[in-house]
Amino acid sequence: MNVRDAFLGIDVGSISTKAVIIDEGNAILAQEYIWTEGNPIGAVKKLLDLLEKQFDREAWQIVGIGATGSARRLVGSIVGATVVKNEITAHAVGTTTFHPEVRTILEIGGQDSKIILVENGIAVDYAMNTLCAAGTGAFLSSQARRLGIDVEEMGQYALQSTHPTMIAARCTVFAESDLVHKIQMGHPREDIIAGVCRAVASNYINNVGKGKKICSPVVFQGGVSKNVGVVRAFEDLLRCPVIVDDNGHLMGAMGAAILAKRSLKRTLFDFSVKNMDFVTRDRNCGGCSNNCEVICVYRNGDLIDFWGNRCERGAPRTSP
Amino acid sequence: MQANQITGIAKKNEEEGISLAVNSVPAVGIPRAMLYYRYGILWEHFFQTLGVSTMLSPPGSRGILEAGTKLAPDESCLSMKMFMGHVDTLIGKCDSIFIPRYSNYGYTELFCTRYEGIYDQARNIFRASGQRFITCNIDAQNGSPEPKAFEQFGVELGFSARESRHAWREASRALKQHQKAEEHAQKELASRPGMKILIAGHSYVLSDAYLGKPILDYLDAAGTISLRADAPEPETARKVCAKFSPTCRWLVSEEIVGGVLMWKDQVDGIILVSAFPCGPDSMTNELLVRRIKGIPILTLVLDTQSGMAGIETRIESFLDIIRFQKGEMG
Repeated sequence: MNVRDAFLGIDVGSISTKAVIIDEGNAILAQEYIWTEGNPIGAVKKLLDLLEKQFDREAWQIVGIGATGSARRLVGSIVGATVVKNEITAHAVGTTTFHPEVRTILEIGGQDSKIILVENGIAVDYAMNTLCAAGTGAFLSSQARRLGIDVEEMGQYALQSTHPTMIAARCTVFAESDLVHKIQMGHPREDIIAGVCRAVASNYINNVGKGKKICSPVVFQGGVSKNVGVVRAFEDLLRCPVIVDDNGHLMGAMGAAILAKRSLKRTLFDFSVKNMDFVTRDRNCGGCSNNCEVICVYRNGDLIDFWGNRCERGAPRTSP
Repeated sequence: MQANQITGIAKKNEEEGISLAVNSVPAVGIPRAMLYYRYGILWEHFFQTLGVSTMLSPPGSRGILEAGTKLAPDESCLSMKMFMGHVDTLIGKCDSIFIPRYSNYGYTELFCTRYEGIYDQARNIFRASGQRFITCNIDAQNGSPEPKAFEQFGVELGFSARESRHAWREASRALKQHQKAEEHAQKELASRPGMKILIAGHSYVLSDAYLGKPILDYLDAAGTISLRADAPEPETARKVCAKFSPTCRWLVSEEIVGGVLMWKDQVDGIILVSAFPCGPDSMTNELLVRRIKGIPILTLVLDTQSGMAGIETRIESFLDIIRFQKGEMG
């Protein structure tokens, strides 16, 4: 039997790490979703281990690897990625492949939120939160903790509410003090939770979606799309159905895998990467007053990649 | 020729017409920040014509920004923090530090209040240093328009009114020439084939070696042609802006908005770069994002974060979107 080509896509975000292996027809051969837990290298090794178990190595060989997410550079150099792409492009590619009719992609992740506008299957405009991380997954997690519930349960609580509490959503710090005030005033918990979900949605529309025409069909993804309370709030505010794909959390990884497939670069991927020893070191260059923070990545003691330097002076010597 | 009233200001060598510093240090130090990037040519030519030696602070860097952040008031904009860092590098290295006060050119031509207060702020922040500061007060509403302000400034330095007027005229001409050359160079860039991105922002953000240059370098490396909204001739740009928004308030902002409107049809995308927290930009960038349709716009806000990662992600994806649109990708 012939060994057929497959493509690996890895999306390492601030909160979760996702990976898929697809065939040439974009069918999923293996998929996994785990927490990054502040350790992208560890998460990727664990992920590869889990993927390997789902994957038939007799029938398939991985010939292209795409990396995306905020740790794409680091992970890309560790797994020897053929394509390293930003998460916005990866999401746009992934989503338009599975929802060719989509017009608007809403995405709220752990620390980023973005909107991508699509026309005829092509991304034409997008916006991303600027400096402020208000209304992202990190905000929901901290508010869930304050209310003593798991962030995963928030959506169900929110759906029980008939009268969501108004929460000032402009800024996370103000939202939090407003929330505490409303708790102390005696608002029911489900109303407050629904209010928080609504605050996330309205904050998103007013900040990231500012000045953008949001057309249906709307696809909502990123970790926060798993919260049905926020989905409901978006549907109320946008007055149109909001599609949440079961594989929505994998769209970035899918996009990365598809980009790896489209690029002509080919390399044979070896799962033994997961057993190698990777170390990163950061050092301050000190060559000038910019004092760049240079990150060096070592595999089994050998320097394999570095970045962060603004000029040649910051390039490390070859030996660690 | 009158005697110099300020010690150390270079005297004119009357026979040979060349400048000499009296002490071993240059007479005037100029911070390479804020309005230097808009009027620096005028200032330098003014001093040069009078035979006064000048020195410029080094290009912006993280070290300068860190020093400035410690010195400037907390709520200042990033550019003001950078400015104070530049002043800091000049302390003790020159006889006087030149910080002009730009208030207005008339009732409708106003400057951001930052430039109005900058001389007094710097003098206060560095009051313990013993450093001498000199200023030139451009405030047409209170009877001191630019030509008169520089004439008076020259007289204060110990030159005659006639010499000072001459120096201002020469300097003014040099600035105009430079602006014409910039606009010309930009037109040449715009006529080249390839993907073009218009970068809009204050010159002191875009031209700064630490703040704006990494963005321009990134775009260069990505193979795009960068046009700048702050390049066209200011008068032309302001007229264009007046038609677009008759109430746009700040003079320098009007120039940038005008520049965006003048070039927007020749580019594939626009990047608005702002240093946090900039009051004028918060108004004009909002205006541009809402009113300009049919062309991708990216807003970048720079703050004291040391990493380039967030900026790179945003520019990379922005360029991808444009390539998608043009059908060059996917």
